[in-house]
Amino acid sequence: MRINNVGITPNQKIANPFKTSRNSTTNPFQNVNFEGNTLQFADVFEGFQPQKTSKLKMITSSVAGSMTKFRNSITEPIVNFVKRIGEGLSNAWTYAKNTNVSDLAGVKAINNAMSTDIVDIGKGISNSISGFGKGISEKLNTDISDIGKGLSKKMAFLNTDVTDIGKSLGLAEKWNSLISKIHSGNKITKDTSVEDLKAMWENEIKLAEEREAA
Amino acid sequence: MNKNVAEIIDALAAHQDNASIEVLEELGTNSPDNEVREYTSRALVRKNVHDSLKIVIVNQGKGINDLSPAVAMSTINEILSLKDKSEVIKILDDTINMHSDEAVRENARSVKSLLALS
Repeated sequence: MRINNVGITPNQKIANPFKTSRNSTTNPFQNVNFEGNTLQFADVFEGFQPQKTSKLKMITSSVAGSMTKFRNSITEPIVNFVKRIGEGLSNAWTYAKNTNVSDLAGVKAINNAMSTDIVDIGKGISNSISGFGKGISEKLNTDISDIGKGLSKKMAFLNTDVTDIGKSLGLAEKWNSLISKIHSGNKITKDTSVEDLKAMWENEIKLAEEREAA
Repeated sequence: MNKNVAEIIDALAAHQDNASIEVLEELGTNSPDNEVREYTSRALVRKNVHDSLKIVIVNQGKGINDLSPAVAMSTINEILSLKDKSEVIKILDDTINMHSDEAVRENARSVKSLLALS
């Protein structure tokens, strides 16, 4: 479509559509259409009297228009996002509305703890301590028994060692000699019989040989 | 030396019977311990009887004839210490004149010489 087809030539002057005559009208916005609503203002040049239209109404209409434009310009994914958020909030609200607070896990545990009598708690602690004490007692008994057995074995070992040490030092011979003296009841004197002296001397020789062998 | 053995030897030395001399010879002079042999020999000399002096003068390896110089010298010193040397001289003379072993005779002769000088 060409401009010539419209019937307008480049040199042709087009009447200014906004040109108004002061004589014909005094309202410059008389012909301006705001979304189909004509401003209700009176002629500003003829004694301006502001209408008592509430500002709230004005704001509302303005916001409504802005929202309409915003809704048209918003992209689809964001809408979906908002919808999902809305659905999530709705589900959360439904869950919160239908769920008893006492049924929540943490609240349930707290309620159980709080509802337990202190005496019962004391019993539980007592049972625990008693069990612990029994465990210690059993352990101690077992350990002491084992320790006793171990000590008994050790003592036997020590006795064996002492015997060996006594043999090596000749203590056993001295002890036997002392015992033989006690049994004989005789002190070695000139009054001791030759037979007894001989027996004692032979015993000394035997002990000396054992000492040498050790 | 064991104190008990010393006491036993002293007790046997105090006895006057021949049984004590036999015990001293059997257990003392045949002891492997030099101290026991020395102590026993001195005990036999102190008895100053024929049977005890004969053991330490005539027998080979005992008394003055002991292989241990300490035992032999100790026995000789004990003989020299005797107040009554009559029995010792008699046995020494018999040993010098009649013993079959020359070493025993030589030892008896040396002891007799020492007695003469003392």
